[in-house]
Amino acid sequence: MLRYTVKRLLQLAVALLGLTLLLFAWFKALPGGPENRMLPDNATDQQREALRQALGLDEPIWSQYGEFLSRLVHLDFGSSLSSGRPVATELADRLPATIELSLAAMVIAIGIGIPLGYLAARKRGSWLDFGAVSGSLVGICIPVFFLAAMLKVVFAQELAWLPTAFRLSPGLDYTEVTGLRVLDGIITGELDVAWDAFLHLVLPAIALASIPLAVITRITRASVLEVVGEDYVRTADAKGLKPQTIRGRHVMKNAMLPVVTVIGLLLGSLFSGAVLTESVFAFGGVGSFIYQATTERDYPALMGFILIIAVFYVVLNLIVDLSYGFLDPRVRVRS
Amino acid sequence: MALLEVEDLRVAFGGATAVDGVDFHVDQGQVVGLVGESGCGKSVTSLAVMGLLPRRGVTVTGKARFEGVDLLSLPRSDMRRRRGSDLAMVFQDPLSSLNPVVKIGTQITEVLERHRGLRGDAAVKEAEQLLDRVGIPDPRRRLGEYPHQLSGGMRQRVLIAIAVACAPRLLIADEPTTALDVTIQAQILELLKDLVDSEGTALLMITHDLGVVAGLCDEVNVLYSGRVVESAPARRLFAEPTHPYTVGLLNSIPRLDLPIHEPLKPIRGSIADVIRWKDGCAFAPRCDRVTEECVEGEPPLIGTAHAHRCVMAEEVA
Repeated sequence: MLRYTVKRLLQLAVALLGLTLLLFAWFKALPGGPENRMLPDNATDQQREALRQALGLDEPIWSQYGEFLSRLVHLDFGSSLSSGRPVATELADRLPATIELSLAAMVIAIGIGIPLGYLAARKRGSWLDFGAVSGSLVGICIPVFFLAAMLKVVFAQELAWLPTAFRLSPGLDYTEVTGLRVLDGIITGELDVAWDAFLHLVLPAIALASIPLAVITRITRASVLEVVGEDYVRTADAKGLKPQTIRGRHVMKNAMLPVVTVIGLLLGSLFSGAVLTESVFAFGGVGSFIYQATTERDYPALMGFILIIAVFYVVLNLIVDLSYGFLDPRVRVRS
Repeated sequence: MALLEVEDLRVAFGGATAVDGVDFHVDQGQVVGLVGESGCGKSVTSLAVMGLLPRRGVTVTGKARFEGVDLLSLPRSDMRRRRGSDLAMVFQDPLSSLNPVVKIGTQITEVLERHRGLRGDAAVKEAEQLLDRVGIPDPRRRLGEYPHQLSGGMRQRVLIAIAVACAPRLLIADEPTTALDVTIQAQILELLKDLVDSEGTALLMITHDLGVVAGLCDEVNVLYSGRVVESAPARRLFAEPTHPYTVGLLNSIPRLDLPIHEPLKPIRGSIADVIRWKDGCAFAPRCDRVTEECVEGEPPLIGTAHAHRCVMAEEVA
């Protein structure tokens, strides 16, 4: 297992290096370099050249890449062209909101999806199964922004059960620890803050969870259906084991393999959904920031964002691979 | 009293009848064969006795009395307590019958824990002894390994170890050697024989291989189309096969003492060519000796120690 872990870590390093190369090449290839964005339209060629020199754009390409790498290592993505503040600071301010939202959505999706998928499989053909299957079809089909808007209209505006926007009610005193506000409220003992932040989180998290929940339910159901027909489950039954032992050790451990893979992939795609959901609920995550950066050709901001998302994605996949190795001994290949 | 007495066992999957009134019995310490070709209902019979058939879409009727208690009418939780402890089963394919993601050790100790209350070190020690008993070298190391790290023969030994872990009084083996090499087959059969001999365990051997029957069984039941067509002590069955189906099975075995170009003598037709037992002999469409009498109602079981279900048997013999 240790060997496997080390091997995967090395692969991760290679993947990240390749990623930086790709990013660098991509930004170099983009038309209309940053100097055109930073200078007014009537700037002279001389002024442009001066800025190119100041930005190091006249250096040989490999030394630009070296410079690029060394800055990335120091988390220096430059300053945002729109706000003038360092990109790292901008992202650091906004990422916790997105992370909190994504985590909440994933907790919902996994916490409901796996048990629901299991029950649907075991009660195959029942109303529960029918409901789970058709419900997940709806969940996959509804666009996230539409569901978010509908939830907001019904539960926040019409019924007024839950807040319509933002992460906290105005006027609440809040002490930041991790930036995940529900967690912070619990840590600092400000339970009113935790509860308020939780209420603000409910609707966006449900909206964002819809697709992963549907996918996890379906995959779990299909996987459990396949596994319960396996010979080793019959063997477990022939041993006279208790139903809960058969369920946990023999059915679920095998059935979780494809589910874990899918969860890893879903976590990555969750971010794009988060951008849309955040904008509906004015949640203040990276979503609106990135939207703005894209329209304004704010390269440093985009670069920082893409890099962080990519690292996030690669690390997630590592975790998925490692848990796969943990779940399935056949994966721990001995080289 | 018989250890296991199966009486008029019938199993239907929806409209399709797989087992159509099977009767046989297994005495204490006896090795009994259940023989027949694919689809004759021998595996379904064993699964029905073990209570391992799915509940939905399957109807099981008849009796399977184990030490006088009808297993088929036991509540599920009672049956679960008996499975793996009073009666246990070894399956056909040792690779797919072991859980690929659970260590061999756990797959053995879980049954010790469940039925014998052994835990922790005591369970591990016992598992080690079991592996040793079924002839697996270096058992301590094997306990920590996974099924894919073992050879086919070893996996079947593990399954046998699991089956005998709680000293069952009846062991059902469903084609335990079919998925194995010929050389390994002999070893596994030898092992099964040793285990049941030394412990006085009764063995119900399900097979299509008459060689296995000849080498192992005391009594043989030949199944055709979900019903016993002939049952006899093994020696007598081979000496005087009576039902044309048994005769056909014996004739279709390749023999070393016949000229090399002599064609094999298969039974013509397939098991799909049947009539229902209540209308006559199910084997009639494939039988060389078929007469009008064969399809005039249900053929009775004739005889006791050596019984058969052929109305024309006198002429055949």
